Amino acid sequence: MIPVYAFAAGDTLGLVILLDEDQTMVSVAERLQASASVRVAPRPGLIVLHEGRPVDPYATVASLGVRPLDRIDLVEGDGR
Amino acid sequence: MLPRQEWLDEARKLDWELSYVRPEDAFPAVQSGRPWLEHGAWKHWDEPFRTTFGEYVGNQSAKDEAVFAVREALGRLRDYRRLDPVWLNALKLHGATLPLAEFAAVVGNLRAARFGRDSAWRLTATFGALDEFRHTQIPLVLLHELVKLDPQFDWVHRFYHSNNWVAIAARHLFDELLLASDAIEFAIATNFVFETGFTNLQFVGLSALAREVGDKCFERMVASIQTDEARHAQIGRQVLEVVVREDPGYAQHLVDKWFWRSWLVFAIVTGFSMDYFTPLEARRASFKEFMREWVVDQFGRSLADLGLSKPWYWDTFIESLDWYHHMVYASAYTYRSTVWFDFVVPSPEDRAWLRAKYPRSWPDLDPVWERIVERWRAADVGNDFAVHGTAIVAFCDLCQLVLCGGTPKRNTATSLERAGRRYIFCSEPCRRIFEQEPERYASHECLVERVLAGRAPANLIALVQRYFGLTQEDWGKDIARGNYAWLHRQAR
Repeated sequence: MIPVYAFAAGDTLGLVILLDEDQTMVSVAERLQASASVRVAPRPGLIVLHEGRPVDPYATVASLGVRPLDRIDLVEGDGR
Repeated sequence: MLPRQEWLDEARKLDWELSYVRPEDAFPAVQSGRPWLEHGAWKHWDEPFRTTFGEYVGNQSAKDEAVFAVREALGRLRDYRRLDPVWLNALKLHGATLPLAEFAAVVGNLRAARFGRDSAWRLTATFGALDEFRHTQIPLVLLHELVKLDPQFDWVHRFYHSNNWVAIAARHLFDELLLASDAIEFAIATNFVFETGFTNLQFVGLSALAREVGDKCFERMVASIQTDEARHAQIGRQVLEVVVREDPGYAQHLVDKWFWRSWLVFAIVTGFSMDYFTPLEARRASFKEFMREWVVDQFGRSLADLGLSKPWYWDTFIESLDWYHHMVYASAYTYRSTVWFDFVVPSPEDRAWLRAKYPRSWPDLDPVWERIVERWRAADVGNDFAVHGTAIVAFCDLCQLVLCGGTPKRNTATSLERAGRRYIFCSEPCRRIFEQEPERYASHECLVERVLAGRAPANLIALVQRYFGLTQEDWGKDIARGNYAWLHRQAR
C-alpha cells in the first residue's frame, strides 16, 4: 500500500489515502471521493492530477511511478 | 521617605560594570539572544508603565479580589447552566489551549528576567513571569468548577499532557515560542507579535463577546488578564526598537515568522469562538472584522512606526482572513470525535450571516455545510459517526495543523524534499519558515508519520481513545446530536 496526500475538489482539507499498485486513476478518484464524501458529494467528470500533472484515467499507480507521500488532486475542468 | 520619582530609576536601573566576568559570559548570546551588543546599546531601555514592586503587588491583589468577587456572585454552576451551551465550547477551547501555555510563558519571562540586557527589562520581565502564573492559575481555578457540569472541561488541565493532535500543534508552537527562545526572540515573538498583535484580539474581543452572551465571569477574567498583558507586552516594542536599529533584517525575520505562526493558532481559537460558538444574537462583528480592526490596522501601524515592513506574505494573510478558520472549522466538524469540545452545525440564519460577512468565500464553503446537513437528514439522531470522516487527515510539517490552507478549489499545500525525507506544508509561509531553520524543525514527526511508522494507531477509534486520550464521554460531538429543529426531519 502506498500512502499519498490527496485533495478533492470542493473539500476543506487534505487527506492521506492508501493506494494499491495496480489501482487505476479512476479507482483512485473513487477512493478519494469516498474518503471526502462527508463534506463533498461524489460527482463524475473530475480529473486526477499526479504531482500537479493530469494523468491517463486508466493508468495504474505503478505505471505512473507514484511514490509514498506524492500528491494526488481531484479537480474540475481540464486540470490546468 | 523619598517621593517615588526620586528613587524609581535608582531601583530600576541597577546595571553596573562587571569586573569578575566578561559581559558576554554573564549574558551569553545563546540565552540573551542576538544581535549581541554592548550594554551601551541597551542602557536607555525603558517602558511606559514603570511599575514598582509595591505597586505591582497592590494592583494584582486588588485585581484578584475583583475577579473572585465576580466569581462568587456570578461564576457558579447555576450561572453557567443559564448560558447558551454552544458558547461553553469557546470556554473549553480557550481553557485548554491558553492557561497552560501561559504557564510555559513563565519560563520565557524568567529567562528574560535573568538574561535580558538591561535591568529595567529584567525587572519588567520578572513582573511578566508573575503575571503568567496568575494567567495560568485563575482560569484553572474558575473553569475547574465546570468539570461538574461537563467532563470535557477536564481537558483544561489535561490537554497539554496528551497527544491530541491539537495539543501536538500547540506544543510545537509554544515550546519554541515560550521555552526555546532566547530573551530577544522571546521579547519580539511573545511580547510584541503574540501579545501586542494577537492577545488583544482574544482577550479584548472575547471579553466583549462574553459580555454580550451574559458570561460575566469569563468577561471579567479575561479583561483582568488583559491589563497584565498590556503592561508586559511593552517589553517587546522596546527590545524591537534596538534590534531594528542594529540588525533590521533579523528583526523583520522574527516578526514575519512569529506573526504567521501566531495567526494560525488564533484563527482557530478565536475564529471558532467568534463566528461559530457565539450565539448569533450576541455577535457584533465577524472574526474577520475583529482581525481587521485589532490586528491588520493596529499591528500594521505598529510595524510602520518601527520602520518595519509588513510580512512578505501579507497578501496571503489578508486572503486567508476570508477562508482559513472556516476551512478548519468545517474539517474539524467532520472529525469532532478527535477533540475535547462539541461543534454546532451553522443554522440557516447563521449561514446567512456568514454569507453576508464573508461574501468572497462563503459561496464556496456553503456547499460543504449543505452536504453535512444532507447527511444528518439521512442519519438517525445521535448517530454522530454517520456524519463523520474516517480517512486519515494530513498535517503540516511546520505548524502541525491540518492541511486547510487556501480554498476548497485550491488547497495551498506544498511539499519539499530534504535529506531523503519528504515534507508537506499547509502554505508557502509555513514552508519558508521551515526552510529558514530546517535544523530546528526537521526531526519532528507529524501525526501521519507517527501513524505510518506504527507509533500511533491508524484506526480512527483506536487513535482517538488510545493515542489522543479521549473517551466516548468527553470526545467532541454534534451539540444537538443532529436533532436541529431547522432540519425538518421526516418521522421514520
